[in-house]
Amino acid sequence: MGTLLVLIVFALFLVAIFTGGYNKDLKGLLEKSTVWDWLTTVDHKKIGILYFFSGIFYFVVGGIEALLIRMQLVVPQNDFIVGDTYNELMTMHGTTMIFLAAMPLIFGLMNVVVPLQIGARDVAFPFLNALGFWLFTFGAILVNLGWFFGNAPDAGWTSYVSLALNEYSPGPGIDYYVLGLQITGIGTMISAINFLVTIINMRAPGMSFLRMPLFTWTTFATSALLLFAMPPLAVGLLLLMFDRLFGANFFDYTMGGSSIIWQHLFWIFGHPEVYIVILPAFGIMSEVISTFSKKRLYGYTSMVFASVLISFLGFMVWVHHMFTVGLGPVSNSIFAVATMTIAVPTGIKVFNWLFTMWGGEIRFTTAMLFALGFIPTFVIGGMTGVMVALPPADFQYQDSYFLVAHFHYTLVGGVVMGLFAGAYYWWPKMFGKLLNETLGKIHFWSFLIGFHLTFFPQHFLGLFGMPRRVFTYQPNVGLENLNLISTIGTIGMAIGVLAFAANVVLSFVKKEKVPNDPWNARSLEWTIPSPPPAYNFVQTPLIRGYDAWWIEKQAGNKSMKPAEPIGPIHMPSSTFVPFLMSLSLFIAGLGFIARENFAAGILGLIMFFITMFVRSFDRNHGCHIEPEEFDQANKGVKA
Amino acid sequence: MVQQQNQSSRGRAVSDKANREMKYVISFIFMILLTAAAFYLVSTGAVAEHLILPLILILATIQVFLQLFTFMHLDQKGTAFYTIFIIAGIFFAAVCVVGIVLM
Amino acid sequence: MEVNTEIKSTRNMPNHLETTTLEGRNKVLGFWLFLAAETVLFACLFGTYLALRHQSMGGPESSELYDLSLIAVSTAILLTSSLTSVLAMAKMNQYKLKAMLTWLGITVLLGLSFLVLEIYEFVHYVHLGHTFMNSAFGSSFYALVGTHGAHVTFGIVWITTLMFQAAKQGITRETAPKLFVSSLYWHFIDVVWIFIFTLVYLLGKVG
Repeated sequence: MGTLLVLIVFALFLVAIFTGGYNKDLKGLLEKSTVWDWLTTVDHKKIGILYFFSGIFYFVVGGIEALLIRMQLVVPQNDFIVGDTYNELMTMHGTTMIFLAAMPLIFGLMNVVVPLQIGARDVAFPFLNALGFWLFTFGAILVNLGWFFGNAPDAGWTSYVSLALNEYSPGPGIDYYVLGLQITGIGTMISAINFLVTIINMRAPGMSFLRMPLFTWTTFATSALLLFAMPPLAVGLLLLMFDRLFGANFFDYTMGGSSIIWQHLFWIFGHPEVYIVILPAFGIMSEVISTFSKKRLYGYTSMVFASVLISFLGFMVWVHHMFTVGLGPVSNSIFAVATMTIAVPTGIKVFNWLFTMWGGEIRFTTAMLFALGFIPTFVIGGMTGVMVALPPADFQYQDSYFLVAHFHYTLVGGVVMGLFAGAYYWWPKMFGKLLNETLGKIHFWSFLIGFHLTFFPQHFLGLFGMPRRVFTYQPNVGLENLNLISTIGTIGMAIGVLAFAANVVLSFVKKEKVPNDPWNARSLEWTIPSPPPAYNFVQTPLIRGYDAWWIEKQAGNKSMKPAEPIGPIHMPSSTFVPFLMSLSLFIAGLGFIARENFAAGILGLIMFFITMFVRSFDRNHGCHIEPEEFDQANKGVKA
Repeated sequence: MVQQQNQSSRGRAVSDKANREMKYVISFIFMILLTAAAFYLVSTGAVAEHLILPLILILATIQVFLQLFTFMHLDQKGTAFYTIFIIAGIFFAAVCVVGIVLM
Repeated sequence: MEVNTEIKSTRNMPNHLETTTLEGRNKVLGFWLFLAAETVLFACLFGTYLALRHQSMGGPESSELYDLSLIAVSTAILLTSSLTSVLAMAKMNQYKLKAMLTWLGITVLLGLSFLVLEIYEFVHYVHLGHTFMNSAFGSSFYALVGTHGAHVTFGIVWITTLMFQAAKQGITRETAPKLFVSSLYWHFIDVVWIFIFTLVYLLGKVG
C-alpha cells in the first residue's frame, strides 16, 4: 500500500504539472520540449514510432527472459533458476512476446504505413490512436510491475484456472496479468476500430478495395479479427478478476463453476491472436517480395481472398488447443478438419510468393533475405501445425517441446522475421535514413542460423518426451545434447538482435538522407519525402490502379496525379488527455491489485470518466496548415 | 464515397420524414406484440416445453432485426459496412455461445 | 471539414446531419464496429450464464426467483425508451431542438426507472439468498445482467451530457453525430435486453 501511495502522489504531481497548477513558466517550457511533443502527439507516424520502439524494448526484455530459460536448461538438473522464478520467467516470456512485443511492433508498422499506402493525411481517429498507444504502454508497465512489487505472473501465458485462482496463486502476480492485459486490451480494441474506419473511409480517390496494397489488406483483416477476438479475452479477464478479487465463482469447481469456460474464452481469443500477428507479416512479405523481385504480386486477388479466408477460419478452430480436455470425438473432429482447412489459403499465399519471384529481377537486400528466410521456416511451422491438428497425434505431442518448436517456427520464423523484413524495408520511410546492409546481413544470417539451431532440436526433444514448462530434466535419458545445441543456438539469435541494435544506433548517427523512393518500390508511401511531412500528402493523389506508384513510373511520370488543388490542410491538435486517461486507468488497476480496499481503484475509474466527460465538451478542432507553410523542399514531390 | 448518402431531394425528404416516424411507431407496436407473445408462451405453457426455447428465440431474433433495420436505420442507403460488421458480430457471437455452452 | 459551423436555417440542409462531415461518417462507422464487438462481448457473458445457470449449489433456483410481471414491466419501459430515442433522432434531423430534447429527456427518465426496477430486483434477490458470491449461477447472473445494467447507467449519463451540449451548442454538424451514436448505443442496449429477457428470464422460468 505504501508503494501505491507514493505512486499516487507521483501521479498527482504529474497532473499538477500538466494542468499548469505548478508553475506557469515551467508549463511554457514543458510545452516546447521534445518530451512533451511526443507525450501529446496525435500524428500517426510518431505514434507508430512510439509503438515500434516500445515493441523493440519489450522484445529485448522477452528475449532476455528466453536466454535465462535456455541457460537453466543447458545441462540436466541445473539449479540456476528453479521453481517459482522459472515459472515467472516462462510466463512473462510468453506474455511479453505476444502482447507486449509482437502486437506493438505490428501496430507500429501499421500506424506508419497504412495511412501512407491509402493516400490519407491521418488515421480516422487521431485522438483514439494516441489513447490506444498510452493504454498499451500503461497496461504493459502494469503487467511488468509484478517483478518489482510482490511477484510476477506465474501461471503460464494462458493463465489456466484453477491454477490462476487465489487458492493456488495467492500472490498478486495473476492480478498484474489480469488488470494489465485488460488495459492493453482496451487499447488494442480502440486501435483495431481506428484502422478499420481509416481503411474504409479515408482512402484517396480511385483507391478501390481491390487496388489497396496487400499490407493494407492484411491490416484490415487483422483489425477485423481483433475486433471480434478481443471481447472474449476481455470477458475472460473480467471473470477471472471477479473470481480473484470479488469472491465470484465462475471457475471454482466447488461452487459450481467450470474451468473449461476460461479455456474456451481464452482460446476463442488466443487462436485468432496468432493470425492477428501473422497476417500483417504476410502483408509485409507480399510488399517486400514484390518490390525486390520488380514484379507485380502474383495472384493479387487470390492473396486478398486468402487473407480474408484465413481470418474467418482463424476464428473457427480454437478447440484444437483443447483436444485433450475431453470435449468428445465430435467437437475434436470438427475442429481438426477446420484447422487443416487453414493450410489451403496459407498454401495459396506461399505459392503466390514463389510465383512472384519466378522470373523476377531479384535484389538480395536485407529485407528480401528476411522474406526468403521466412518462407521455408514458416512452411516448416505450418507443416508441424497440420501434424498437431490431428487429435489422436495431438495426444502425443501436447505439452511437449514439439509444440514449443512448432509455435516458435510460426511466431519467430513467421512473425519476427516478417517484422525484421518490414523494419529494414520501411526504416528509410520512418526515419529518412537507410539501415546498414552489411550489418543487416550479419543480423540475418546469425539470426537465421541461431534460430534453427535453437528450435529445430526441440522437435526431437518433444518426441523424446521432454515436457514443456518444466524447469529441469533428468540426465542419461538422451536429452542432454539436443538441449545443449538449443542453448548454443540462442547465442546466434542474440548476436543477430545486437547487430540490429547497433544498426539502429548507427542509422541515427549518420547524416546521409535517403530520397523518396530508395527501393524503386511500387506503392504510394514511396511518392512522398522520407520521413514524410506531418500532413503526408501536399495534394491527395489520384489512384489509377493497383501498384499506383509503379503505374505512374511506367507511364514516365515523376509524381502522382493530384486529385485536389493545393489548399490549407486540416490537422488535429496535440493533446495530453489520452495520457491522462491511460494514467487514471493505470491507477485504477494498481488500486485493485493493492486489494486492501478498492478506494484507489475507484478513484482511478472516477478520474477516467471525468477526463472523458471533460474531453466531450472540448471544442478544439485542430488547426490548418496554409500552403505557404509547406516545406519548400517538398514542392517538387507533390502527391 | 463522399456525400453519396445525402443526395436525396428536399421535397421527397419531407414526406419521407413523416413516413419514417409512422414506421417507427408501427415497428414499436410489432416489438411489443412479439414480446407479449414470448411472455404469453412461457407464462401459460401453451406449447410443449421442448418447443418453447426455439420459439422464443425466433421471436427475439425477429425483434432484433426490427430494431436493427428500423430504429438503427440499417434499411437506409450507405449502410453496407455497418450491416456487414454487425452481421459478422452476430455470427461470431453465435459461435461463441454455441462453443461455450455445447462444446 | 467545416465542423464548427452552427446551422441557422434548415433550408438546403442534408437529410442525415450525422453523416455530413467526414468526422461524422467516421464516428458512426466506428461506433457500429464497436457495437459489433460488444455483441461478441455480451455473447461470451451469455455463454457463461447459460453454461452455469443450473449451478445454484443449494441456493434458490432460477424458476423460483424470477418474477415475470416485474420483467414484463422492465421490458416495456426499455422498449418504449428505444422508441422515444429514435423519435428524438427524427426530430434532430428536422432541426427541432426542443422536441428532440423532450424526447431525449423522456428516454433518460425511462432509463432511470428501468434502473430503479433492476436495483429493486437485485436487492430482492439478495434477500432471498441469491448473491454474487454464493454460487456459480449467482456469479454468472449478476455478471451478465449487471454488465447490461452498467451499460444502461453509462447510457443515461452519456445522453444527459449530450443533452446539455445540444442545449448549449444547438443541433450542429458536431453535436449531431454524437447524439446519433448515443441513440445507436441506446438501441443496442435494448437489443441486448431482448436476449436477456428471452434467455435469462423466460428460459429460467421454463427450467
